[in-house]
Amino acid sequence: MGFGDLRSPAGLALLDGFLADRSYIEGFVASQADVAVFEALAAPPPAQLCHALRWFNHIKSFQKEKGSLPGVKKPLAQYGPAGVADSTKGRPTPPADDDDDDDDDDDLDLFGSDEEESEEVARIKAERLAEYAARKSKKPALIAKSSILLDVKPWDDETDMAKLEECVRTIQLDGLLWGQSKLVPVGYGIRKLQIGCVVEDDKVGTDILEERITAFEDYVQSMDVAAFNKI
Amino acid sequence: MALKELSSLEKFLGLKKHNKYITQGDNKVPVLQSNNGPMVGLLTVSSHLVNEAKRPELLGTSTEHRAMVHQWLEYRVTKVDGCTREEAKTVLKDLNLYLQDKVYLAGNCFTLADALMYYGLHPLVVDLAVHEKEHYVNVTRWFDHLQHYPGLRHHLCPVVVLRNRVYISGHH
Repeated sequence: MGFGDLRSPAGLALLDGFLADRSYIEGFVASQADVAVFEALAAPPPAQLCHALRWFNHIKSFQKEKGSLPGVKKPLAQYGPAGVADSTKGRPTPPADDDDDDDDDDDLDLFGSDEEESEEVARIKAERLAEYAARKSKKPALIAKSSILLDVKPWDDETDMAKLEECVRTIQLDGLLWGQSKLVPVGYGIRKLQIGCVVEDDKVGTDILEERITAFEDYVQSMDVAAFNKI
Repeated sequence: MALKELSSLEKFLGLKKHNKYITQGDNKVPVLQSNNGPMVGLLTVSSHLVNEAKRPELLGTSTEHRAMVHQWLEYRVTKVDGCTREEAKTVLKDLNLYLQDKVYLAGNCFTLADALMYYGLHPLVVDLAVHEKEHYVNVTRWFDHLQHYPGLRHHLCPVVVLRNRVYISGHH
């Protein structure tokens, strides 16, 4: 957001383009947004930026009512077309002879107006590309995940299944998330623990899980992978 | 057409009493029957409504301002109403040039001239293609500004204004 540096011709050109189809900076009535941008301008825009000049003269006529315009004044960078780099911070105050420079630029610009047009189009395209790239890079990279259902079998029917489950859940690995569990009867009173988990393929594999689970030799007789689905 | 405009104008001005209008003649000139006799013509009736609503600032504040408002009202009735395609192009071109450095038609505030010109131009603008709207950049901007003005757009459909920068032409 923001118009770049409003004291530079590039910033003014950006303001002009923005105001080509808008009467006010924000919305359809004069507001504090207009006041904020108006005060950021050092001088009236040059005559060939007709939209900026029109807006400037119009807002100037509101001088007496500046305080009573609706809205809340926000920092300058909040207004204007999206995607423009905010260069209002950290700019040193320009010297007082800027006005003379502007006059000279006016004469040159009269002949170079076509270049200004294509520059503006090119700049808008570049802005849009930058916006698109920024949006794409913010998207989180796709991580390969799988959902695994494990069968953990105890030694006999007297094994404390709650303790067994507790032991299994103490296994903490980066990329491992324990899910639901249930007890499934196998026969002869023996129940196996069916527990699901979601793992990131790069970080955790079934062999590591098997190693860690069977380490609880007191409770766990063996472990099997009942189901393995890619997410 | 004129009758719908007048009733929209009444709503916009917040007038409680809705008058009955009749039309007269081939051009369907609206007529309002009042105590002082019939008032004929869109301009006369709308000025009367503005005064009734006690909003004289809509007709202009200073003498020059009032003259400008009146000039644009006349422009609307003479040039815009019932114009052909060719004449419409001239009208739009003139307006585009005029609105280059102005936000409202007369002065720095909304007036009856803006309201009636908006009503009058609506059928023309509705028919414009996208690239034509881009060409008459200032008319489109003013039009879009007005159709969002609170209370103004009643019986008219909103015109979609696409902010498409592909057609930037050398209008500087």
